Amino acid sequence: MLHVVDTVEVDPGRAGDYLALVGTLGVTVMTDAGASLVSCAATSAEIGAPVGVQVVWGCEGYPAWNEIRMRLVLDPRWHELASRAAALRLGGTRRFYTPLDLRGAPTAPG
Amino acid sequence: MLRRFELYAVPPDASPEDVRTLARACRDSGRYIPEVLDSAVGANRSDAPVRVVWEHAYASPEAYRRYMVHPYHAAVIDRHVLSDSPERIVADDTLGAGLVGYVCDEPRYKMTTGVRRVVLLRVDREASPAELRAMCAHLEAVPEAVPTMTVSVVGANTLGSAWFDGVTPITGPPRWTHLWEQGFAELAQLEAYRDGPSELAAAERAGWDGWRDGVVVRSAHVFYEIDALGP
Repeated sequence: MLHVVDTVEVDPGRAGDYLALVGTLGVTVMTDAGASLVSCAATSAEIGAPVGVQVVWGCEGYPAWNEIRMRLVLDPRWHELASRAAALRLGGTRRFYTPLDLRGAPTAPG
Repeated sequence: MLRRFELYAVPPDASPEDVRTLARACRDSGRYIPEVLDSAVGANRSDAPVRVVWEHAYASPEAYRRYMVHPYHAAVIDRHVLSDSPERIVADDTLGAGLVGYVCDEPRYKMTTGVRRVVLLRVDREASPAELRAMCAHLEAVPEAVPTMTVSVVGANTLGSAWFDGVTPITGPPRWTHLWEQGFAELAQLEAYRDGPSELAAAERAGWDGWRDGVVVRSAHVFYEIDALGP
């Protein structure tokens, strides 16, 4: 399993719009391409700071992500999603994580 | 072999550090993905809407496919270039040359220093295979008349539409049908060629009008000093 973790910051006044975009067009486009929504979480909008939004997409591994990526690039809806999301967020990061089972003797994945 | 170029536009307000980060991620890919060969970057000096050029190669389509699924590709390079990445540095490609490349038998393109020029050619779609072969041979023979052009390689831009596996087209024909890759030791030599008396320089200055019965419809170019090492 591979997790694609997008962690972004959004102005509190636009956090609802961002979450709605992820929950509608985002989920549709990503799941149509073969990814699954693992989780979505946000920080409080009442702490006087940008809202942090973390969206985790899942797939089987890097080869599967490569196929998903190809489908996304060929999907006009993904380009619309990318453009709208970029206009709403202040910044952020994308990282790839491999879930580990800590009960054994875990090592960093290859 | 697959010879491949990625040409990146960058927003005007991008910071120099962002541009360096993008260039470093591309140039250093060979350290982490052994299949990436002859990786170098350059800052485009032409007026084409391109800021950073990444040139590299793969020994085979199989090697290219290993690159495509490598974690470094997804996690580091794509972080800066994929449209939906929160860390995207690049801007949308308006030249129609975001990813171009051709198949070759050996790395005749090779040079580790100097100035690379990549001429993007759009040839007449009605041109016959024989006419295209003759065009390629003609362009590759330019160094006979212009000795300062130390590299002259021409190839059909197959990777423009076969970017997923290096072989199978998955999009329509690319805007630029062929690449003409040139090399010079110094920028002054490139400028001397472009301003000089050779038949090809004259054809380029004339917008290819009438050259070999109009086989070249239009062209664009990028050129840059090769940075195979960098900071």
